[in-house]
Amino acid sequence: MPEFDPEAYARQAAAAVGLPLHEKHLPGVVMNLTLAARMAALVAQMPLTPADEAAPVFTAGRTPPK
Amino acid sequence: MSAATIAAEIRAGRRRAAEVVEAHLADIAARDARFNAFTEVTAARARAEAAAVDAAVAAGRDPGPLAGVPVAVKNLFDLEGVVTLAGAKIERDSPPARADAFLVQRLRAAGAVMLGALNMDEYAYGFTTENAHFGPCHNPHDLTRIAGGSSGGSAAAVAAGLVPITLGSDTNGSIRVPSSLCGIWGLKPTYGRLSRRGAFLFVGALDHLGPFARDVADLALAYNALQGDDAEDHAQAWRGVEPVSLEGAADLRIGILDDHFARNGHAEAFAAVEAVARALGATSRVALPDAAIGRAAAFLITMAEGANLHLPNLRARSEDFDPGTCDRFLAGALLPATWVQQAQRARAAYRAKALALFEEFDVLIAPATPYVAPPIGQEMIEVDGQSIPVRPNLGIYTQPISCIGLPVIAAPVAGVPTPGDMPIGVQLIGAPWAEDKLFRLAAHLERIGACRAPNPRDTHA
Repeated sequence: MPEFDPEAYARQAAAAVGLPLHEKHLPGVVMNLTLAARMAALVAQMPLTPADEAAPVFTAGRTPPK
Repeated sequence: MSAATIAAEIRAGRRRAAEVVEAHLADIAARDARFNAFTEVTAARARAEAAAVDAAVAAGRDPGPLAGVPVAVKNLFDLEGVVTLAGAKIERDSPPARADAFLVQRLRAAGAVMLGALNMDEYAYGFTTENAHFGPCHNPHDLTRIAGGSSGGSAAAVAAGLVPITLGSDTNGSIRVPSSLCGIWGLKPTYGRLSRRGAFLFVGALDHLGPFARDVADLALAYNALQGDDAEDHAQAWRGVEPVSLEGAADLRIGILDDHFARNGHAEAFAAVEAVARALGATSRVALPDAAIGRAAAFLITMAEGANLHLPNLRARSEDFDPGTCDRFLAGALLPATWVQQAQRARAAYRAKALALFEEFDVLIAPATPYVAPPIGQEMIEVDGQSIPVRPNLGIYTQPISCIGLPVIAAPVAGVPTPGDMPIGVQLIGAPWAEDKLFRLAAHLERIGACRAPNPRDTHA
């Protein structure tokens, strides 16, 4: 598998979500994506099963509507 | 003067709220330029509210537990008629708030007098309050150093004695970090305890609101007043008002957090924990399993949620963001969904492991910050022989805790030698909804002299 290339990824992901990315922001964005990739690798160490639900739980409303 | 003393004097008719508010307005006008804590002073509102308190006292009505107490809030809380800046130049273009935030309403109902809005990191995304639009907030203990953030103005205003009580928000440490760096008390309640209505969102999954004060009695006074049912905050888990007490800590089982919380910082952070442990005779050390994973999960959720909230402005006017936050927001808008969803599932699994610790312990003690306040503008810092970015590392001990919504009191530790004689705090961490135990322990630590808010030298000279 090829290594993660944060700069190439940033350009493509920005295009995908319609986010203009000026050249002057690229070094900072790359640095932050590199850090995020390290954090994601840490998170990936947590063993999870299909029974592990995500933390946020939707509520339909705290009380019935008036 | 403490909030409790001010309220007692006014309730007893020995002082008038109008005099108190004028003295505080004059003090802010004279001294705040040093700290840059206030971004807006609501003098007319404060005078009207003080007059109402004086009228209530004169008419024999109960003026409330915070009668005439001057307060101020981080500038992400809605104040009726004031533009809610959330630390952002972009928000200057927004219309003034139409109503007070829920917690501001609670303070007012308790008789408090609103003096204004306080400096913060842009959109709460930072730990330093080095705001490019409104200027950096200065630490009252050393004006060349940061106050911490993102609720830096809230902590500096209390530490400097400009007001006895302020409100802030804490998503990853934004109440606890500035409390530690400014040497005051701060409370991040359990996630879902206090309503967030009318406070500018940062990361809905992790946002908490809470008070700052210079002593535990004032912190409790504020917290008790802030509790209230609000069906409009879907994240509030209402349990009824649960007032906290300050008496009795002998029954509390104390654990000292090890592992992640015994690394990644400077000697003074660990000396602060040791001093508190010694004062309590606490010797049980325990690891919080997967704390580093919890921190990483909070980091990713914050990036993604925070960025998505501001996507329209990131697309249209990224040049108007603070250079200190802009690239983080831009990167956050690009994270793979897999990273973020995995973080939300890992977070729940981590919570289950963490909650198991409270079968054995009532309160866990950990450092609040890895070091004392760094100089304004400092980029890097040496930790464990490595040079690392000073700013994100400030949340290394707070992020794993807010990730799972546990209540925390940040306590200023007394008598620990530190660089520059700067203050530093510890976290007193409880099980969900166990704020009462935290307050009892905090009051005990204050009574025995192990924790107290130091007086800044610069401001009282």
